[in-house]
Amino acid sequence: MASTARNRFQQQERRRDSDHVGFLQHRGYRWLWFALLLSGAAIAGYALIDQEPRPNGGTWYGYTLGTIGFGVILWLSLLGVRKRRINPGAWSLKAWTSAHVYLGLALIVIGTLHTGFQIGWNVHTLAYVLMLLVIATGIYGVIVYATLPQSLSANRKEMTRAQMLDALTALDRQLESAAQPLARAESDLVIAALGQDVFYGGALARLTGSYPGCKTAQALRGMGRATEAETRVVALLEKRREQLAQIRGALRIRALLEIWLFIHIPLTIALIAALTAHVISVFYYW
Amino acid sequence: MAFLIRTIDFTAAGREIVRDRTLDQTRLTVGRAAENDIHLPDLAVEQHHIGIDLTAGDTLAVRALGTLGFGLDGRVVTEATIDPQTGGEIALGAARLAVARENDGNIVITIRQVAPDEGKTDALRGFALASKLPGKRTMSWIFAVAIILLLLALPVASHLLRTPAKPDPTGKTPGAVLMDSAWSSGELSLKHHSLENNCESCHVAAFESVQDETCLSCHKDIGDHAKKPRLAKGMPPLSEGDALQWKIAEGFGKEGPLGCVACHSEHEGPVRTQAGSEAFCSDCHKDLKTRLTDTQLTAAHDFGKTHPQFRPVYFASFGAAKPVRAAAGSTPVERSGLVLPHDVHMNPRGGAARMAVSLAQYRSPLECKDCHAATADKVSFKPVEMEQACEACHSLVSGRTPGGALSKLRHGSVKNLAEDLARISTGPRPRLAPGRQRPGQLSSASPYHADFGRPVRAYIGISNALSVGGVCTECHLPTRGPTGQADLMPVNFPDRFLTSGYFSHAAHTKQKCTDCHAAETSKLASDLLMPDLKSCRTCHLGATAVKTAKIVPSDCAMCHAYHVPSGQWQGLKPAKPSMPHYKPPPEPAKKSTVAAKLAQVTP
Repeated sequence: MASTARNRFQQQERRRDSDHVGFLQHRGYRWLWFALLLSGAAIAGYALIDQEPRPNGGTWYGYTLGTIGFGVILWLSLLGVRKRRINPGAWSLKAWTSAHVYLGLALIVIGTLHTGFQIGWNVHTLAYVLMLLVIATGIYGVIVYATLPQSLSANRKEMTRAQMLDALTALDRQLESAAQPLARAESDLVIAALGQDVFYGGALARLTGSYPGCKTAQALRGMGRATEAETRVVALLEKRREQLAQIRGALRIRALLEIWLFIHIPLTIALIAALTAHVISVFYYW
Repeated sequence: MAFLIRTIDFTAAGREIVRDRTLDQTRLTVGRAAENDIHLPDLAVEQHHIGIDLTAGDTLAVRALGTLGFGLDGRVVTEATIDPQTGGEIALGAARLAVARENDGNIVITIRQVAPDEGKTDALRGFALASKLPGKRTMSWIFAVAIILLLLALPVASHLLRTPAKPDPTGKTPGAVLMDSAWSSGELSLKHHSLENNCESCHVAAFESVQDETCLSCHKDIGDHAKKPRLAKGMPPLSEGDALQWKIAEGFGKEGPLGCVACHSEHEGPVRTQAGSEAFCSDCHKDLKTRLTDTQLTAAHDFGKTHPQFRPVYFASFGAAKPVRAAAGSTPVERSGLVLPHDVHMNPRGGAARMAVSLAQYRSPLECKDCHAATADKVSFKPVEMEQACEACHSLVSGRTPGGALSKLRHGSVKNLAEDLARISTGPRPRLAPGRQRPGQLSSASPYHADFGRPVRAYIGISNALSVGGVCTECHLPTRGPTGQADLMPVNFPDRFLTSGYFSHAAHTKQKCTDCHAAETSKLASDLLMPDLKSCRTCHLGATAVKTAKIVPSDCAMCHAYHVPSGQWQGLKPAKPSMPHYKPPPEPAKKSTVAAKLAQVTP
């Protein structure tokens, strides 16, 4: 009985521990060590095995590295499938993600050695470059996932996204009534500011946080401070600008968090296409 | 100071109903209970939800009366201060209380109900970057389809549908396959660069590796290093990785480690194909006999350490039909048919040197180049021609022509010599005394002349010339022809002495000839003056040797080629081994000038 209780305790402890361990540290960096071992073995083989007439993707060692690389790339791309299948077990999504990151990094070594450092304007180098871009965006993704959520949380100031939008709506209603005494030109400024979509701006604006066409900012610049009504509108416009800044801050962090996937995923599919062309062409013109 | 409470409702038809009431007090309560100043019939609102106090600083202090907070400008708080000048909006359930100051100083609280925001979830989607970028799936499809179409489908389709282009080493025929240049893993070597735009000239069929047959369609003259079965037997066993690769590759139709492409890998950039390394040769040749037991080749792997002694090709007997290769380490006795003591000619104080000094042609003691002229490739030497090299001293002048020029015996053929000697006795000769003529005799201007004597003098002449002490035997060995007549040994030299290697004299111009060829001390023509291994090793050591001012690290390819006998040297097959080198000079052209005619007619 005692042992059963202890077992259950240990089991629960393990689960609790593992629940609070990130995918990078998963199981004492198991996949980091595996990736280092794989890369080290690939480098050692490259250095020690004499390839005649020169290292090349077409030697037996080159084919070996190429096959390993091809298999790893296909497996890594299956993370998208795996994460949509919710299933428990030792082969957890966290383990899978951990392996995805570290094996992906090991691909830099394996892929580069497979090229034999022969680079050119061809489908083979296209596949290699795509692979490097996918890995680079992946590295970026890991870094931003580790760092940016804190700033996202800090930016929210205990507000949900819905509350941020609500706050803007509240300000807008006040602005509308406060702007009633304004003259035509000033009224138009307020109309433009209220009419502009809160999510105005393209992907680049979101990433940089620069919105040169912001109507609220324009209204603030154009609004006079002469009358009491104008002062009130200006105060409200400033509040609106601050609220927009908070929303845009959230948008920027979120864009920085998400942008890499918009490159990572399409380039992965492009990479698989290029790999297919690479493998078939090599044996088509053997 | 008073609060103006303005309630805005909507009728079922959507018409707005505005009701105003004024509360002249400094404190307001808001809640669901009826006794509140502002009564909000909304279950989401507490009975006594908030209190609003007008403070001394002319601001409004808003405080939640229970534990539930309230919304102020979108944010949920339990306590807040509103400056009526800027205003604020309090959210309680579905009601929105907009606070503002009227121009008369009163504070207006406008109450309106908001409809539940149905589009909010949709609005929240705007936070995602996906709302501003094309979808990942769309982009994936575009990229993948573009790559597959352009870089795979197009070349494959055009390859399957094309009329095959012929291999054209001049590079003027472009290939018929579209976009296959994108498949090229690197530029072709310099010699194949003209084929850059015609992949099909080598890659003939789909999924078939480049075949030897295709290479040989241009490289017709290439020679095998050895016959394939012997090559296969002589090769060291492959490493496990190579063996597996070849096993798989041969299963897919590749021609194995002895095919052309196994060594001549292409697409390595615009470079010259590198000669095989020392290891490439020594892999097989360091212990060839252990696998190819019947080979005559001895082990070789490093020129400075293990290399067989040179075995020059030479004629071992007079007039032999074929030259033989010297046994390793033996001292060959060459039977060239010549009598030539090199030391006599090379001695700077000897008679030959004295004579050369006296001759306008030389004006100095003889040097090697006075007799031996290198071929254009500086590998070998042209045959020594008697007329150019020897005749200045070893004269064959036999008298004067009627015109006064020197006449000489023709060199190169005993038959010609016999004719020339006979002519000495029959030709027109100078008259004994000028201008005197017996009556009745034919005019001296007539070409008619006759020698009524017996031809015995001519026979004696040729016999003397060919026998010991005669003019011919200064250089030639006398012998007897098939019918017993006097004759000379044919002169036999192989085209090249060291036939298995390549030696450039041009690369050795810093050396004197006698550094390697012991001509100065050679007393007999039978000395074969080929240098031995040791003399080469004074400078040339194996590829791993350290390069110094004197030592030249030398790999196998410095002297040897793989594809013999296609190269400059022809193995053991001299072109015409039984023929003497010297051909009779061509018959002198018939002179047609007036002076020549006069010389002919003048007796």
